[in-house]
Amino acid sequence: MSDARFRNPGWAGNTGEFDLTEADVRGSEFVGEQPLDGGHPGVAPSLPYMLVRKDPEAPLFEGPYLERFEKIRTRYPTARAALIPALNLAQELRGHVSPETMDEVAALLGLSDAFVRGVATFYTMYNKRPVGRFLIQVCTNISCNIRGADEVLAAFLEHTGTELGETSSDGDFTVAEAECLAACGFPTCVQINSRYFEDVSVEDVPEVLARLKREVNDGF
Amino acid sequence: MTDTVTLTIDGHEVTVPKGTSLLHAAETLGTEVPHYCYHPGLTAPAQCRICLVEVEGAPKLQPSCVTMAQDGQVVHTDSPAAKRMRQGVLEFYLVNHPLDCPICDMSGECMLQDYVFDEGREKGRSREPKRVFGRDDFGGDVLYYGDRCVMCTRCVRFMDEVARDSRLTVVERGSRAVIDTFFDRGLEGASFAGNVVDICPVGALVSKDFLHKARAWDLDHTPSVCPNCSQGCNIELHTRDNLVQRLKPRENQEVNGHWMCDYGRANYEWMNRPGRLEEPAAGRGAKRRRVDWKSALEHLFVQLRAGVGAEVKVVGSAAASNEALAALAAVAGEAGEVSSRVFRSPRAADEVPLPGFPLLVRRHDLAPNVDGAGLLGFERTGDDEAKGGLEDVAGHDGVLFVLGDELADRNEDFGAAAGLYVYLGAFDSPAARNADYVLPVTTFAEEEGSFVNAQGRVQRYRQGLQSPGSARPAWLVLGALAAALGGHGTPATAADVFAGLVAAHAAFAGLTWDALGDRGAALRTEAVHG
Repeated sequence: MSDARFRNPGWAGNTGEFDLTEADVRGSEFVGEQPLDGGHPGVAPSLPYMLVRKDPEAPLFEGPYLERFEKIRTRYPTARAALIPALNLAQELRGHVSPETMDEVAALLGLSDAFVRGVATFYTMYNKRPVGRFLIQVCTNISCNIRGADEVLAAFLEHTGTELGETSSDGDFTVAEAECLAACGFPTCVQINSRYFEDVSVEDVPEVLARLKREVNDGF
Repeated sequence: MTDTVTLTIDGHEVTVPKGTSLLHAAETLGTEVPHYCYHPGLTAPAQCRICLVEVEGAPKLQPSCVTMAQDGQVVHTDSPAAKRMRQGVLEFYLVNHPLDCPICDMSGECMLQDYVFDEGREKGRSREPKRVFGRDDFGGDVLYYGDRCVMCTRCVRFMDEVARDSRLTVVERGSRAVIDTFFDRGLEGASFAGNVVDICPVGALVSKDFLHKARAWDLDHTPSVCPNCSQGCNIELHTRDNLVQRLKPRENQEVNGHWMCDYGRANYEWMNRPGRLEEPAAGRGAKRRRVDWKSALEHLFVQLRAGVGAEVKVVGSAAASNEALAALAAVAGEAGEVSSRVFRSPRAADEVPLPGFPLLVRRHDLAPNVDGAGLLGFERTGDDEAKGGLEDVAGHDGVLFVLGDELADRNEDFGAAAGLYVYLGAFDSPAARNADYVLPVTTFAEEEGSFVNAQGRVQRYRQGLQSPGSARPAWLVLGALAAALGGHGTPATAADVFAGLVAAHAAFAGLTWDALGDRGAALRTEAVHG
């Protein structure tokens, strides 16, 4: 994997002042393709990347995922407290949190289905509908807005050929608007899956999308 | 260590037990601090921010529902700071509120309407369009209007804490937040969900049954007791146009807390049933003719006195008041040798408890006064559907009294052999064809009286409807007859009959009509279990 792929606009923290690669910043073992089982249960929750391939039909939970779920359960005093990481795990596996997923997680944790729905809908980071392979979240809050976030958002929509919140016909891209991504020093900030792309301007958009396409074609 | 604290609220010194919230302390002075999320039967999350009051020394306003009173505290509920804050909070509540009071069922008893009317701004300053949700059918009797909701979460907490059936939740957040169930799973099958309509401070949760039926200010409220099972939940009859429009629970911590079950709540149409017996009648079958009360009772009195010594059988009802049953027993006793006193009453296979308030159970017995009937010497007969069991009564050849049992499973031969057959009821029946006297009596909603509930508690109910024609309370008719036969004074009120009942039945000893009040009083334990 070439370091050049992650040049600006790219990974968070690349201010251009230092000649650092993403691997230097995040640690090389966390960059690139993830093992399909999500990694060792001890470290998986802190991995920066979510699983690349989602399976909406994946069982909740089996094998290493069951191990991770049980680990999560032991880290929290009550089932309620374990709900958010359990939903994270389900979304990592399935790509989105469907009503069926909420129901299954509720049953696994012994919580009421309504309560799980309340939590899942409260947090915008749970996708309540299927999303594309790349979920492109463009910050349109104050700092980014001043730097032309609305135009960046429009550019993403134009180049992916989708409507806001919809998924492109090839299933690769979902473009959404996000509130502050806490990267106000580097507007416009765009979060694609779990990666931050900073200082994104309208001109960068085709290149960012091309890079994502390349990653798909390379099979990550 | 003292158990009380003394503080000053709005310039008045008040002493309250330790652990009293400022909201309750203010209540003892007659000051209502506005509140939405706080409800005395639920936990207080202090999230509605409308009950904030000024406490001297505190840097910010304090939520009075969860701030405990402390010695020497100086509290202002009506200071400029508190008022300004309430006005601000109310303005926020109205940002997205549709202000559809003219078509809202809650209008007239709505806490948002009341508070805004009292203290709100004349005009809101929001210029953005209001967001619109429309309405959502929660199933059961509950309908949800998201636009009216103030997000107090009383309903969510009721289902969590009291019904222990967490079917409601807050879905989404911010201005998109609504109350909902798990997608289309709804509230169907929940046995106490109707209470969320009662505790909703605004018009967000409304009853489908009551939808657009009546305005709050057109309803008369009558303290009563739920007649649909032997729990005897304290309720109010809400009436208009001489019809019961709905039942609402009335607080009584000894019986039902703030709650009542959906079964009881939904079962009121029978109180409005038309086709009543309105005038007394005498004569069997084709010879039946209308008579006035005076001649009916005089003739009956003469016949009863002439036939003294005959064998008497009595069919009572577990839906009749203690007063009616006691007067019936007294009349029967004066008339002759009482060989059986029975009642029939439906029984449910199951009981339905309210987990968060264990005193409240929808009982097996689906009649209000099974225990009272038992204490007054009536025995249960028939099956769990209140049928059968009257075979020996049907062919009885002595004196026969029927009160409040429609004899739906009996035919026209009933009472054909009786020497004297007196039928007292609200509705005519084919089995009343052979009655020598058919006397129209009032229903539960049209009279005063008392029931004994399954806890052994005597509770009064009051008259909410006018009776049709010249129907009279059974205790008045039978009390007069018993007095004439026994040679003592005629009772004029239910209280008089109750006093006679207490004197005649040891189980009721020590009780007085006034002491029962609107909360009831327990029988002595040995009377219940002895």
